Amino acid sequence: MPRVIVLLAAAAILVAAGWLIRDFIRDPVATPIADFSAPFVFGRFAVPPDNPLTQEGFALGRHLFYDPILSANNEVSCATCHIQAMAFTDGRSRSPALSGGELEFSAMSLVNLLWGQERFFWDGRATSLEEQALMPIQHPEEMGQDIDVLVAELSSSSSYRRMFRRAYGEVSADNIARALASFMRMLISDNSKYDKYLRGEVRLNAQEEHGRKLFMAHPDTKVSLRGGNCIDCHSQFLTSGFRDALDGFSNNGLDPEDTLAPGLMAVTGNPAHKGFFKVPTLRNIAVTAPYMHDGRFETLRDVMNHYNDGIVVSDTLSPLILEADNAPDTPSDTVGLRMTPEEIDAIIAFLHTLTDEVFLTDPAFSNPFEGGS
Amino acid sequence: MSRLQAMSGFGLLVLLAIGWIVFVPGPKRTTDVTVTLRATMNGAPLTFDQFMYDNPAGPGAFRVRDFRFYLSNLVLTSGDEEFVEPDSYYLARFDNADRSYVITLSDVPLRRIEGLRFLIGVDPDANGSILARGDLDPNSQMAWNWEVGYKFVLFEGALDVDGAISPLVYHVGFSENAREVSVLVPADMTRAGETQINLDVDLAKLFDNAALIDMQALPTVKFDRTDARMLADNYADMISASY
Ligand code: HEC
Ligand code: HEC
Repeated sequence: MPRVIVLLAAAAILVAAGWLIRDFIRDPVATPIADFSAPFVFGRFAVPPDNPLTQEGFALGRHLFYDPILSANNEVSCATCHIQAMAFTDGRSRSPALSGGELEFSAMSLVNLLWGQERFFWDGRATSLEEQALMPIQHPEEMGQDIDVLVAELSSSSSYRRMFRRAYGEVSADNIARALASFMRMLISDNSKYDKYLRGEVRLNAQEEHGRKLFMAHPDTKVSLRGGNCIDCHSQFLTSGFRDALDGFSNNGLDPEDTLAPGLMAVTGNPAHKGFFKVPTLRNIAVTAPYMHDGRFETLRDVMNHYNDGIVVSDTLSPLILEADNAPDTPSDTVGLRMTPEEIDAIIAFLHTLTDEVFLTDPAFSNPFEGGS
Repeated sequence: MSRLQAMSGFGLLVLLAIGWIVFVPGPKRTTDVTVTLRATMNGAPLTFDQFMYDNPAGPGAFRVRDFRFYLSNLVLTSGDEEFVEPDSYYLARFDNADRSYVITLSDVPLRRIEGLRFLIGVDPDANGSILARGDLDPNSQMAWNWEVGYKFVLFEGALDVDGAISPLVYHVGFSENAREVSVLVPADMTRAGETQINLDVDLAKLFDNAALIDMQALPTVKFDRTDARMLADNYADMISASY
């Protein structure tokens, strides 16, 4: 009898070893993410041919996104500054810097990144999500990590080795970038009340509908059309900036000439781009306060007050903002839309229809190290 | 040599001859077409962002921040034959070094190109749709909201009158304002199956044509139908062939 048991055990060990070796030597056979859904009104998008969307890449990216191993002190993960419940922002004016103090900019929402501008960061300095993903890791004040050290750390973890092998092959900086980019590309928000309205599933109430109309109209007093002109920069369905060339960057009148930050000019060198910033998506805007690149506005009402009569004129200010005025014949010391308080409330009500609870609580985008995997 | 061999040798020759006739190319039956549009102002390449152009009918000088338009429904003709380029919606923009926009069409099934026809603007069907076709994109700068349609011609800039700067915004749309342009293509523009068509887009015509515009009196055109039609009649002939 014992001989049989020994034989069986030996056979089992052989099978297990064979399985492990097979798993180790075979090429990655990642499963393509073929049929995710996105509203056709979002328009076309492109995934880089050398980083197709796969289940394995997404799963690995999600782990990396939530893992503080990415930082030098093993305390900061991407999710420290990009929190799901806040549409992947951090609720601060400016994110905390590693050496104490604050970063230059407010953390940006990560949503519907497949559409809109193909440049990332407030000043557009990254031209792909792959390029972007490695920047916070190595930024001395964000995660302060040496990329080779990170590759070595991840390689010494058997579970990361396995996840990388399944998704791409080896553990490398490029593959870290690919995985993070894949995770971020799948952060799709399309279940807000506005989306349901566009799909014909719900109606907006009278105030929201009024706000929608104002959002979508450039004012023209000559034909008695009132408007908030938001659509001049925040596109009608995505609510983000425009995709074509640099159309998704502009100066919305935050600062005067002498304190105007370089913005996009720092990237293009073109003085006509001074003070231009990435027009951000307004999806889930009710949960991403404070607002603007430096988080200067606490509430959506502050934002609306800015557009209504707080516009600061500089040479590169958008002519569409300067010209959009609902009361051009009434003299005033301020520049702005000059709408009524009811109109401002209506736009704020419309902005609230952009909140997508399904997205903000979707377990697929949550921390994989806490229960759900 | 046996008779059989001789016969099969002859057969081979016949086959070769037939093959020659069938497979060796005759003159090319299709044409590769390149259409180059160049933005100019009064005959010189357009300059952006500088107050260097005179208000055509009033005081001050203006600068151009942005100028672009939709070119659609492209048709190439050769005698009675014509080729309609499917889904041709091009956003012509000129914010590059040589102020030009290039459309390339390969293997157009016409042996020679004698004429070219297109719309400045968008046909009513596409203008009323939110489907992305060609360069039509409802999430782009050229889209008004989906109830209105697209801007066909967009001009943005500023006017400087004695140091007082004011914005200029001319956005012309509405289906009735699409204008057809047709251009003759001289025979010597086609060589070895390739046709080069050079078009000059004179932006000055937008303000200085049938209607002469004082930018101070009319700094913006958007939804007023009469103003929009006036600018459309002005841009109707801003594009011409240049050789
Ligand atoms: C210390 C806080 C912090 C950490 C950690 C952090 N980010 Fe960010 N993130 C920011 C800030 C601040 C910005 C805006 C920075 C700028 O524009 O210069 C930003 C911008 C971005 C953007 C640009 C979004 C857009 O629409 O252009 C992406 C994408 C992004 N982060 C992804 C990540 C990823 C992936 C990680 C982890 C590898 C990460 N972030 C880690 C704070 C952080
Ligand atoms: C001329 C273009 C333009 C127009 C018109 C415009 N915006 Fe913006 N918007 C921007 C830019 C650019 C930013 C980012 C500015 C920055 O932080 O430097 C922005 C930022 C915002 C923000 C803050 C987003 C965040 O994540 O911090 C909100 C909210 C907003 N806009 C709402 C609106 C509303 C509502 C309207 C219409 C009343 C409007 N915008 C009109 C260009 C525009």
